[in-house]
Amino acid sequence: MQQINLKINNKQYHFLVSAHEMLSHVIREKAGLTGTKIGCEQGSCGACTVLLNNVAVLSCITPAVRCDNAEITTIEALAKDGKLHKLQEKFVEKGAIQCGFCTPGMVMTALSLAPNLNKEAGIDSMKQEIKEGLSGNLCRCTGYTKVIAAVAEYALELNVTRNSDIISENNTNCPKSAVGTPRPYIEAQKKVRGAAEYADDISTRNALHCKFLRSIYPHARIENIDVSEALKLPGVHFISTGIEIPVTFGVLPISQDETAMAVNKVRYIGEIVAAVAADTEEIAVEACSLIKVKYSVLKEFLTIDESLDDAGEDEKIHEYGKFNNNIHKKAELRFGDQQQGLREAEVTTKMSFEFDGINHGFTEPHAATAYWDENGLTITTATQVPHYLHRALAKVMEVPLSRVRVIKPYLGGGFGGKSDPFAHEMIIAHLARKTGRPVRVRLSREEVFLTNHGRHPSKMTVEMGISKDGFLQVLDADIAIDGGAYGSFGVVTSYYNGVLLQAPYKLSNFGFRTYRVYTNKPQCGAMRGHGAVNSRFAVESLIDDLAHKIQMDPCELRMQNFLDSNSLTVGQYRITSNGSRESLQKVMEQSHWKERIGKMEKGKGLGVACGFFISGSALPIIWNELPQSVVHLKLDFDGRVLVTSGSSDIGQGSDTMLAIIVSEVLGLSIDNIFVLGADTLLTPVDFGSYSSRVTFMAGNAAKDAAGNLKKEIIQSIVTKFEINPDELNFHDNRIFTNDKTIDLSWMEAVDILMAKRGAVSVSGKYISPKLGGDFKGAGAGLSPSYSFGAVIAEVDVDTDTGQVKVTNIWGAHDCGKALNPLAVQGQLEGSWHMGLGQAISEQMKYYKGLLFNNNFLEYKIPTSLDTPDIHANIIETIDPEGPFGAKEAGEGAIHPVIPAIANAIYKAVGVRITKLPVNPEDILAMMKLQKTSGGNSK
Amino acid sequence: MTVISENKYISPNSVEQAVSAAVEHKGSYRYIAGGTDVMVNKFQGNDTADLLIDLTGIQGLKEILKTDTHIIIGALTTLEELQNQQLLATHFPMLPEAAKSVASPTIRKSATLGGNLLCENRCIFYNQSEWWREAAGRCLKCNGDICLASGGNKYCYSKFVSDIAVVLISLNAEIEIINEHETSVIPLETIYSGDGINPVLLPKTSIIKSIYIPLIDGNRSAFKKLRKRETLDFTSLTTSLTIKNSGSVRIVLGGAHAKPVIVDGSVEDDLEVLFSQVVSNTRIIENDTYSRSYRKDMIRVFLKRSFVELNSKSPYSITGSNEPQK
Repeated sequence: MQQINLKINNKQYHFLVSAHEMLSHVIREKAGLTGTKIGCEQGSCGACTVLLNNVAVLSCITPAVRCDNAEITTIEALAKDGKLHKLQEKFVEKGAIQCGFCTPGMVMTALSLAPNLNKEAGIDSMKQEIKEGLSGNLCRCTGYTKVIAAVAEYALELNVTRNSDIISENNTNCPKSAVGTPRPYIEAQKKVRGAAEYADDISTRNALHCKFLRSIYPHARIENIDVSEALKLPGVHFISTGIEIPVTFGVLPISQDETAMAVNKVRYIGEIVAAVAADTEEIAVEACSLIKVKYSVLKEFLTIDESLDDAGEDEKIHEYGKFNNNIHKKAELRFGDQQQGLREAEVTTKMSFEFDGINHGFTEPHAATAYWDENGLTITTATQVPHYLHRALAKVMEVPLSRVRVIKPYLGGGFGGKSDPFAHEMIIAHLARKTGRPVRVRLSREEVFLTNHGRHPSKMTVEMGISKDGFLQVLDADIAIDGGAYGSFGVVTSYYNGVLLQAPYKLSNFGFRTYRVYTNKPQCGAMRGHGAVNSRFAVESLIDDLAHKIQMDPCELRMQNFLDSNSLTVGQYRITSNGSRESLQKVMEQSHWKERIGKMEKGKGLGVACGFFISGSALPIIWNELPQSVVHLKLDFDGRVLVTSGSSDIGQGSDTMLAIIVSEVLGLSIDNIFVLGADTLLTPVDFGSYSSRVTFMAGNAAKDAAGNLKKEIIQSIVTKFEINPDELNFHDNRIFTNDKTIDLSWMEAVDILMAKRGAVSVSGKYISPKLGGDFKGAGAGLSPSYSFGAVIAEVDVDTDTGQVKVTNIWGAHDCGKALNPLAVQGQLEGSWHMGLGQAISEQMKYYKGLLFNNNFLEYKIPTSLDTPDIHANIIETIDPEGPFGAKEAGEGAIHPVIPAIANAIYKAVGVRITKLPVNPEDILAMMKLQKTSGGNSK
Repeated sequence: MTVISENKYISPNSVEQAVSAAVEHKGSYRYIAGGTDVMVNKFQGNDTADLLIDLTGIQGLKEILKTDTHIIIGALTTLEELQNQQLLATHFPMLPEAAKSVASPTIRKSATLGGNLLCENRCIFYNQSEWWREAAGRCLKCNGDICLASGGNKYCYSKFVSDIAVVLISLNAEIEIINEHETSVIPLETIYSGDGINPVLLPKTSIIKSIYIPLIDGNRSAFKKLRKRETLDFTSLTTSLTIKNSGSVRIVLGGAHAKPVIVDGSVEDDLEVLFSQVVSNTRIIENDTYSRSYRKDMIRVFLKRSFVELNSKSPYSITGSNEPQK
């Protein structure tokens, strides 16, 4: 240990540090400044950026001893005298903050970058410099667009004196209408100051640290686990193995196939075999290395084909299933007659596709702390679905539901990757019970990748037919998806791969068959655009091919096949509002499609694709008759409305959305509204943040609740003044009649309501209408409303190297009504950026079941430099059932972007992409093949 | 990992102090400058040195000087400084370009020239956590019996990844090194062994003090780098081509062997023959994001492009390649 002096944010500290301790650890754990985040621990994500003697450094790879007598500046130092730094203000104002986990590092990097930017060279050149300068800071939410805008504006104003601050505290001025006004998240200031606490930022006194021993075999029997040496290590409190917590769990009631740790056998490399609770993380790691496990190796199944086959003499991955193979689920639905449709179609096409698995890549690693007291178990954890975790913990811990409390703190991104109940959550709950101490855990980035639950690797063959005049006749898809070792959302994923192909085009002959197989790899689950991203890619590629074959503009072809508003799909989805045409029209105009298509030089191309997605699943995951969402409002003497909702703000801005809705209904400014979200003790049940359900369902529940509160207020005023209830208006913090004979301030109205009664609590709910057919599988993909959208992408393909550069993305998305246009744009830009990653650079690569690229250096999320200009367009169709007409905006947009890029590549070099990510080597090989076979590329 | 740490970290003020600390230390030690490579290797358990000797406090190794015959760059110059140096941009535009292609902007503020030249060789089977390497079955470079990347070789061809070394070698740079025995100035290329396990030939106590680049009129150079993303990523293939006034040609490759691949020729040579000679000198194995065959194919593409670029450019007007590196 060595003594060092650090001046952090102008305060002198003396720390005893170990010689090879990292600065990030000292800042977070010893100085308690948790605004500096840890995302990768290997210097590849930038979340930990701080200033060391005014130079930006990555604190996760900077030895603390090096900083002896140095000055450190962290995010916490930027705001002064209660006011944000101007750069922070810009981040807030521009909507550059979503989950906020990368924000502190991004701000620190931008702070050291901004003074060096060349402001004279014009805005485009400066933006390019900013892209370059921020390219070591990964963001998974924003697509960088708004971050770059914030830094550019800050830089331009650097030497300009301003009279007033653009952002006033909490936006106290009430706009004309809360709905539709772009506004930063209500918690944006907290996030930009580094004050928002994420799961690993919350320190619990006396907490033990938990670390895991993980399997090094893909498929093996556990013969023996010897923990005796590890137990002798001073500082070790408890070591647990699978047999102690044998109760199975899983997010779906039909796939309760997981245990907290491996019991008797391991099913993938990385599965948890034992867990240690110790005084420090280092001791826990050391103890794990002393645990001896004896395995006997079983034959592993690593590919879809191996798992579809008969397992022969080899042991299956799960006992599950009648047959001697590793098929987890077969889903099949057929409408009309596909064979006849194909026979009758004038032009048909059939192609096979392969997709690698991808990971959510959220910047905040999983983290949680659990403890038990007289109220039972409390767990604070990075989760998208407190409700399902609540149920799973009660089941696995074998306690009543009333003995479990799940709290979601600020969450550093999810994208579906924090929507299952997780093994580490079960384990620390167990360890906390055994030791009587709080137990905390933080997964390394490698462990996050091993935990996975990402997009399924998939293989599919899809066939479509069309008439010569361009009307789609038939679609038949044969799909196999690789689920990894456990069920997760897989049954739903299996259906979504098929059913979500029945729109946005009219189809009378439509059918699919999906197999989901178990393999000895980390499990797959739900990820943004759940289930249908890969099959949508296939279909949009086929449509492009059909357009080519019948020599029709692929945009025109799509235009004439779109489903109409207020119609039914072949599988009886009820389509209400539908902005497909408007979306496609918009991107055609913006990209100058008509003028440019077919006229670009070799190597450059435009491509188009469309998509749609559910606005929440109409059916709950666990069958019950609870409403999908309940929101409570409490109004007390101080005039503030407390909104409580079990829905999870995971960085997508749903807390702000709830505040906007309540604000709109009551005509009350947002600063009088306080949102308390996602604490299963304090907030009513909402099923969680998955399937793009929160705006539609929790939003409707909030609107219902606010309406009920409004009724109470009206009733109290009507009783007092004996007027007609219809005469009252709620606007601009006042309640008044048209003739202003009654004109009350909000507080006067509150006094009237409270008189002889006190605080008023009301409840609102959302229950989906009865929808869909009555055949088996009819429930899959049912939603009270659907979003629609279109993307046109532009690419530049290097014909010598096969490298693809996406140079523009024009996107439009029908979200019904943008309650908060700033947030909706952010969701769209983030979706298109994530799609870009799947298209060109992201893949999970395995070596004999062992994941190769389990860090942010080798798992290649596009940086700011790899991300083209993204042009986001919001299309509003005012859905009849959405709150104020709103539908989803968080997931659907990812569907069209990937095939749009592939279709643009086809236009550029005549090569049809059938594998993702796009591989330049394949492009070259296919171009060569074309040349030799004289194939056409026009 | 030991719980009661015996790890040490010292920051000597001079090269001599640093060398003697190394000589005196009984256990394992590692010099660090920026530390951006070493600390990641430590995090993954690939570097287990218990003593870290921090060189960044040593004065006099951060200057860039011009003499009549050379430009001399201190080994502790950061990559950001290299990238922004007007003097270098004027004389060796390829050097700032190469510096800018390394890692990320924030890393370049810490990472040094010397550190880049001595950056540990890389392989997708090696740059992994201790747990991972155990699960994979340990390769040659981490005390295993065979090379996993090639499926059984007894020789390690982990990838040489210093982009700046590639450029410096093509400029015939020399380095001044000091160790407990001597101070000497040697051609940079002579320090690379080609053995992926111990890629640097220098005595272990050696410190690079400075780099000497000869000022020769009329050089024209082009630099290319293959990687998935435009930032962050280590090289999958780096090429530099220098054509001298004399008509001699020097081609240097990184990411294609355990050491830089160097081929000297002349503008009179048949390019196809020259390229074949380059390719045959590489030892590319399946240890990268891109396949072996693709990386091999790209050698020709990059070199051809470099020749085309240089033929259309006059000496000293070179601003480096503007090709988008994808």
